[in-house]
Amino acid sequence: MNSLSRIYALANNTFREAIRNKLLYMLLGFSVVMISSGVVLATLSYVEVHEILQDMGLAAIRFFSVGIAIFVGIGLIHNEVDRRTIFTILSKPVSRNEFLVGKWAGLTFTVWLLLALMAGAFAIVSLLAGAPLGLDHLVAIVLIGLELMVVVAIATFFSSFTTPMLAALFSVGLWMIGHLSRDLHALGQQSEVGTVTTMANFVFLLMPDFEVFNKTLEAVHGLPIDSGEIGLAFVYAVGYTVCTLILGAMIFSRRDFK
Amino acid sequence: MSPKLIQVAALIAAVCATGWVHARLPNETRTDRGEAFVPAPHVIEAASLGFDAILADYYWLQAVQVAGVNDVIDADTASHLGKLVDVVTTLNPYVDHPYRFAAVWMTHSEEQVRDANLLLERAIEFHPEDWRNYFYLGFNQFYYLGDFEAAASALEGAVKNEGSPAYLPRLLARLKSQKGDIDVAEIFLRQLLVSTDDESEIAKIEGALDEIEIEHKARHLDRAREAYQQLTGYDILSVGDLIRGKHRVLQKLPSPEPDSMPASLRRGSVWELDREGRIVSTYLGARYEVHYSGIESAVFKPDEQSERQTKGPRGQEDEPRDG
Repeated sequence: MNSLSRIYALANNTFREAIRNKLLYMLLGFSVVMISSGVVLATLSYVEVHEILQDMGLAAIRFFSVGIAIFVGIGLIHNEVDRRTIFTILSKPVSRNEFLVGKWAGLTFTVWLLLALMAGAFAIVSLLAGAPLGLDHLVAIVLIGLELMVVVAIATFFSSFTTPMLAALFSVGLWMIGHLSRDLHALGQQSEVGTVTTMANFVFLLMPDFEVFNKTLEAVHGLPIDSGEIGLAFVYAVGYTVCTLILGAMIFSRRDFK
Repeated sequence: MSPKLIQVAALIAAVCATGWVHARLPNETRTDRGEAFVPAPHVIEAASLGFDAILADYYWLQAVQVAGVNDVIDADTASHLGKLVDVVTTLNPYVDHPYRFAAVWMTHSEEQVRDANLLLERAIEFHPEDWRNYFYLGFNQFYYLGDFEAAASALEGAVKNEGSPAYLPRLLARLKSQKGDIDVAEIFLRQLLVSTDDESEIAKIEGALDEIEIEHKARHLDRAREAYQQLTGYDILSVGDLIRGKHRVLQKLPSPEPDSMPASLRRGSVWELDREGRIVSTYLGARYEVHYSGIESAVFKPDEQSERQTKGPRGQEDEPRDG
């Protein structure tokens, strides 16, 4: 059994475990209700009705899928340690790195599946309401999927060395910073103090930039999305995920479970 | 009593108590309480965490509610609407209608009109292909600010874009020749009238057209007055002199109220001479001027004008159409 097969087995197991979590279904249900409620919300306006409906749908998808990614991700490692099942797994010919990557892959697949279900609900609601649907919407949802991949990596990273509560706080914090990092960078550029500008640049490069995955406005308003930008977003997501998982694996390999 | 019965009784009591309290909780909205706080656009933009579009929708729905619940859009309400639309268009500059929605209401002072123009300029930046934004900007520049050059420049943008009305080049030529008369204002207003289905906007435009109609009549009386002076060598003592006596110059006076006004709504207005000796209709109380011109003597009184306009229900579609 090679390394990839072992990661696949762990991912498969994580996926099967995750879909048994009732919290997932509750959040999925809420997201579908929110996506559908866009129809009611849109009727409050006499113009831009389809745009409001789709803004609401895409916002609900992002909000709930990130919520699922973080709140399931933070318990990934902790639950295994808590139930002592990690000893059984690591006693097999499975490295800690493979364990971490397998856990991340399993949860990423789970949130992508949920994302696909939410996207399906969004498409049905849009079609029933007569709102236009195009390739841009698919691109926006794929980009949310890339954002989720990074968020799961971050949650897995924090889950590898701290308690679920702290991992949740850190993950949510980093996700928020990820949506603020461009503003923080712009603020730093306005400073006349060179150190502040340099620090702002450093923080901007270190922190995730989740706005690169946000193409809601473009999708809803039918604006062109640059394919080069999508390619860069893909490379960025993969790169950031790999970096985060390597860091997580380095910390996890030194962790003492006693 | 069994524990189960006690549980059920406690549940019923709790439900009744909660329902009683809920029914008495104040349910008025912030808008009902007259609170008009709107966060700074860039603060809310930074705090949106990627949810810019849905936040923009939230503030847009607030703007629609503010316009909907107020029978009269006074200066403060218009300013509130302007702030809301500023937030909306900062969060989501690709929205289309809100720019023109704000521009329609932000007409109570020169400052408001200039703020509305900033919004329209943002609209042009993000929708350079839409002639309507240029047209609204041109209208504001001409009608409220009296800047014919800027108005002509804005209309040039409208003319270049597909779908603009065929008569726009003629209007542009008149503006370029600096003929900022009420005829140009009337052309602008009639185009705005055909380009909207929004009942409140229609009422506002019709009010302005009524004023132009009365101004036309007043100018007709001015010409009759000149003829009277030439004939008699002295001025009239009252407007009625124009139709009385052996030197009368008119068969009858035109109606001092808009011709389209139903008899049941007529106010019994009359023609009279104001303190400066000008012929005015008591319907307006002043002679009509088309713009502020940035001077205090400007007689266009938007607050009075808006008070005359009773808003009707909002139409389903408010999009200006090609005239």
